[in-house]
Amino acid sequence: MNISIWRHWLMTIALCAAASATHAQSATPTADAGSEGPPTAAPPVMRPLPEEKSWRLGIGLGYGERTNPLIQSDDIPVVVDLDIAWFGKRWFFDNGDVGFALLDNRRFTTNVVARVNSDRAFFAKTNTRFVTFALTSGGGTVPIADPITGVPLPQPPPTALKVPQRDYAVELGLETLMDGEWGEATFRAFRDVSDTHNGFEISADYSYRWTHGRLSIAPSVGVAYKSAALNDYYWGVQPGEAGQTLLEYHADGGFGWEGGIRTSYYLSKSMRLAVSANYERLQDSVARSPIVEQPYVFGYFAGVAWQF
Amino acid sequence: MRARLALLAAGLLAMALPATAADPPLRPPVRLIVKPLLCLIDKGATSCAVTFDIRWKSAVEAEYCLNDEAQPAPLRCWPKTLSGEHRHERLVTQDFAFWLSPPASADRAAEVKIEVLRVDSDDRRRERRSRHVWDVL
Repeated sequence: MNISIWRHWLMTIALCAAASATHAQSATPTADAGSEGPPTAAPPVMRPLPEEKSWRLGIGLGYGERTNPLIQSDDIPVVVDLDIAWFGKRWFFDNGDVGFALLDNRRFTTNVVARVNSDRAFFAKTNTRFVTFALTSGGGTVPIADPITGVPLPQPPPTALKVPQRDYAVELGLETLMDGEWGEATFRAFRDVSDTHNGFEISADYSYRWTHGRLSIAPSVGVAYKSAALNDYYWGVQPGEAGQTLLEYHADGGFGWEGGIRTSYYLSKSMRLAVSANYERLQDSVARSPIVEQPYVFGYFAGVAWQF
Repeated sequence: MRARLALLAAGLLAMALPATAADPPLRPPVRLIVKPLLCLIDKGATSCAVTFDIRWKSAVEAEYCLNDEAQPAPLRCWPKTLSGEHRHERLVTQDFAFWLSPPASADRAAEVKIEVLRVDSDDRRRERRSRHVWDVL
């Protein structure tokens, strides 16, 4: 009797023992010859959902841009979008915002949140252009003459045309988040607490997400009121900044609106293709500012996003 | 008790002994294809209803049973054949697996994992969207 026969004999004894010990009673389906049968249906196995992790870490890689409405500015490329958030029982950190949940019930959640104003981001991508003033007459350039003596004046040196510097403002406020079968809504009211612009902003957003198969589409709309102090600090031209190239300008408070869409196609639980676009219409008084070239901000992104 | 120990020892010995040329050949590879592999659960839903399209192909004729992790008994068994197809309606609430096994065997000749992703959250704070310039996702 060789080793192989011994092995089979011992395996048979072991399997018989295991079978008798477990008393397997499950019905064994009969084998069928057909290749496809009627669909079978099974009830769900209800088990509690796993608790969500405190940390949310994600990264999006692709290409996108957000236009810069300022004169003498570059659009803002978006190649990497990091998502770093932490949610405790009440405290949370969400991509730069720090918050504390004041109220949380079945209908809404109200948080107190500290954030950095987003208008400042546009001022980080500006350039300086030098402008030369000349007098034209009869289709050609003529020397600028002294209006009294008529003596030609020397060519004035080029004047710098640049967007004034602006600081980041820390804002503190309340936000209320609501959701239901009808979608999601957010109401926010923030005020500067860093003595930067001393203004405030009130906004409301609504979005609705459709999910079908692996696809998720979420259009959104929003409206925001920004106070005169906020708008004038960022988008106005103060007396000390005005000159030959920029006229003094004071922006008023007013409403702006935005609309967007975010689309995801999930390749797996942690990876998805993401396409998004957003259009924001600046408030009229902001759009008329001499440092504003475009009355809107348009952003888009397409890429792959991972959630770790 | 002594008999059980003896059986256990026999089983362990059997597993420890090397296989020889007299053993049956290794089971040929079989490919299991299931669609869809992922379902999304959104707000207000606790499960997704899915009709799975399940197909398998083997290089040589073989007997296989299709198993669902949530079911104690196989969903379906096929006699010796090269391939099989099956449609299975199911409410899915969490990750699970389909697999093929030889009849009356616990071996998994091929396995496919089905994933469930909740795209919403019970914590509304996780759904909030910041208004930062770089927030595009």
